[in-house]
Amino acid sequence: MRFRTQLSNASVFSKLTASLSSLGKVCWMRLEQGFIRFTIIPDQGTQVWAQLPVDSIFEEDSYILESNTGVINLEVPIGSLHRALRSAVAAKFTNLRLTKKGNVPLLALTIRATSWTTGNNALGIPDTSNSTSTTDPSPTTAVSTSTTTDRSTGPRERETVITQEIPVKVLHESAVEGLHQPRCRDPDVNILLPSLLQLKNISERFTKLATESKSTTTTSTTTTSSSPSPKLELSATMHGSLRMSIGTDAFRISSTWTDLLNPSLDPGQLAQGELEQLPSERMRGIPEDEEAAWARVRIDGKDWSRILSVGRLNPRVVASFIHETALVLYVFLPGSWNEEDSCLTYYLNSYAVE
Amino acid sequence: MASLSFSLAPKAIYQLHDALTCLAKFDDNVAFEAEIDLLRLSVLNLTKTAYSAFVFEADSFFETYSFSRGRGGSSSRAARPDKFSCQMLIKALLSAFKGKSSGRDKDTSVERCEVELQENLDESECRLVIRLICGLGVIKLYKLMYEPVHVQHAIFDRSKITNEWSIEPKYLKEITDHFGPSAEQLDIYSEHGKAVFTSFTMKSSDGKEILRQPIHTSVAIDKRDFDYYLAEDHLHVAIHMKDFKAAIAHAETANTMITARFTRPCRPLQFAYDFEGIRSEFTLMTRGESSGDDAPDSSRAAPVQLSARQTPAPVQISQRSTTSEMKQMPPPRSRSIRPLTGTSTRASQSNTETQRPPPSIESDSLFVPADDDRQWDVPNEEDEGQAEDELGWDATGDQTSIGPGLRDIEPKMAQPTAEEEDEMGIPPTQRMSQLHGLGLFD
Repeated sequence: MRFRTQLSNASVFSKLTASLSSLGKVCWMRLEQGFIRFTIIPDQGTQVWAQLPVDSIFEEDSYILESNTGVINLEVPIGSLHRALRSAVAAKFTNLRLTKKGNVPLLALTIRATSWTTGNNALGIPDTSNSTSTTDPSPTTAVSTSTTTDRSTGPRERETVITQEIPVKVLHESAVEGLHQPRCRDPDVNILLPSLLQLKNISERFTKLATESKSTTTTSTTTTSSSPSPKLELSATMHGSLRMSIGTDAFRISSTWTDLLNPSLDPGQLAQGELEQLPSERMRGIPEDEEAAWARVRIDGKDWSRILSVGRLNPRVVASFIHETALVLYVFLPGSWNEEDSCLTYYLNSYAVE
Repeated sequence: MASLSFSLAPKAIYQLHDALTCLAKFDDNVAFEAEIDLLRLSVLNLTKTAYSAFVFEADSFFETYSFSRGRGGSSSRAARPDKFSCQMLIKALLSAFKGKSSGRDKDTSVERCEVELQENLDESECRLVIRLICGLGVIKLYKLMYEPVHVQHAIFDRSKITNEWSIEPKYLKEITDHFGPSAEQLDIYSEHGKAVFTSFTMKSSDGKEILRQPIHTSVAIDKRDFDYYLAEDHLHVAIHMKDFKAAIAHAETANTMITARFTRPCRPLQFAYDFEGIRSEFTLMTRGESSGDDAPDSSRAAPVQLSARQTPAPVQISQRSTTSEMKQMPPPRSRSIRPLTGTSTRASQSNTETQRPPPSIESDSLFVPADDDRQWDVPNEEDEGQAEDELGWDATGDQTSIGPGLRDIEPKMAQPTAEEEDEMGIPPTQRMSQLHGLGLFD
């Protein structure tokens, strides 16, 4: 079993791991010949299934994958991986490989970072009047084998080599074959989300307001220790409208976006009759002012905020609403590679009305 | 009765504050010693593995400085008649010598600081009076209580050192940026023209929790980055990451070269630097193997060091050499010595100065420019600090897939820790003469 590659885009890799690590602590990383997949399935909360072509984060030429099954499955502490990748973001060369120390399998990152010394003496004139107060090393140091450096003070390029070793688990194929993406019925509404940063900021403001009002109203009666975080209500139509709202006993607020895009499915994939039978096409036929035109889900405010952290990758996000059941987010990463191939899919369950 | 009074310019107040901030990372109490030509603030940590001291020169650091040791009574308290020593809470001093005043109250920023000692033997309360003279006639007065103590210093003989290097602290700071917040120990050695800094954690690892093991980070920089590097190659010394970070964080503010001096593993290492009338030193106990010839792979550092404790050979060597050195050294002062427990007690301390990312969104603005990657972080995550290492979820539910391998590791990691305690944990009844080679004070 062998895996070795050079990173081609440490920044995207780092941002990806940052977004993933907000959802769970352990990630199933599946290395295949053409694709890399990252999956997080927490005990509760949102699942994410990410699939990227190898060349989106790795140098394809240097990508070496050898295994009996042609696949390597790893269980990776995603937070640690993100932490380690932070060292690589500014580096010019980063190598990632699967290795072993004793019996512990490791993902080892070797990072070469370069920088320029400032150099306090641009002309390189040696400073003869050494006024530093350090005492001269005692005569015994002359025995030591090390070399003294030439004390040129001009700017020069310096190199730092960083190795980060992350303990991982190698998973047998049988351990993961039972895992598959959730299946759900055809969505009622597909809509392209507006700026995730805007969405994130507004939903966090909403959540905060609801949490505060909740805690002030409940302190008088019960303890607030285990109050769950408030639920956001998201709804959308096939007429380009998206609404986010939150309500408590004291107030109800909402924000509505209009003129968003409702992407339609590729007609080539469906038979003629099928397309018209899709729930989303039926929803398109209902006028927007009717309540039935809105597909609605209720999601956890905090969880939503964690998901939206994927916005750091600057993606396009299509939200698929399955009325009162689930919300599926398709997150397409930007970049030179084929967008269709690199997609993060988030599965959120809708909460029932309290 | 001692009399001490001195005054400080604003810049010196800030420098004093910086020093106190640094000292606070070692323990809660600071030893305060006045002599005729200097003032010394020092801290020895609880486990006596780290000692940090700042010496302020009377004529260059202070605006005015006067100290005299009067006659009468006090000799019973102080070990030396020409010295006054006491101990104070660092927190109290820190709040008195508060750092740079915020921009808002510029008018009332500190212009001068006067400190006077009021040692009154007739009364039970002795005080250090700090008077901050600020703009617009504002005077802030602090009266801090102190407690007389015998101060313990780490003895470090610079003439005996065999290894020394000096570097700009910013390079060391860059190195520590790569280490995870949970890294507890730092191993330093050199080979092939590179100096290698490796973080490791001596956590007894449970086989089931392989993913909880900390990241192992090693950073290699060119020896040319050092001002000079005169240390033996392949010589591993290990110190606490926390102490290392504390030292370089302060050295960076001082904007000066930091020098490390040491002889060999299991003997103290000292970081030192002088600037603007302040002499700073950090004497840290090192761990490691006396002969570091067979550890080419830095990543093996942790097990290697632990096994070193099991073999009696290095211990004997260090004892032999200490007895020879002893002849030139002053005898240790009589004092109660706590048992040196190595690092076993320290290991449980979690690194509190984790580089916790700041809360993601500070401003209330909804529409902030999309620039900062941190804005995408999740707010109010209480457990964010732990998130790096605390892992709970197992996709398989199947622990046995690599179980046998992990079992092999378990005793290796756990046993030496126990043995180390046996060896290092000296019962309090042990004679002083047997303590050398284990602590800072020999």
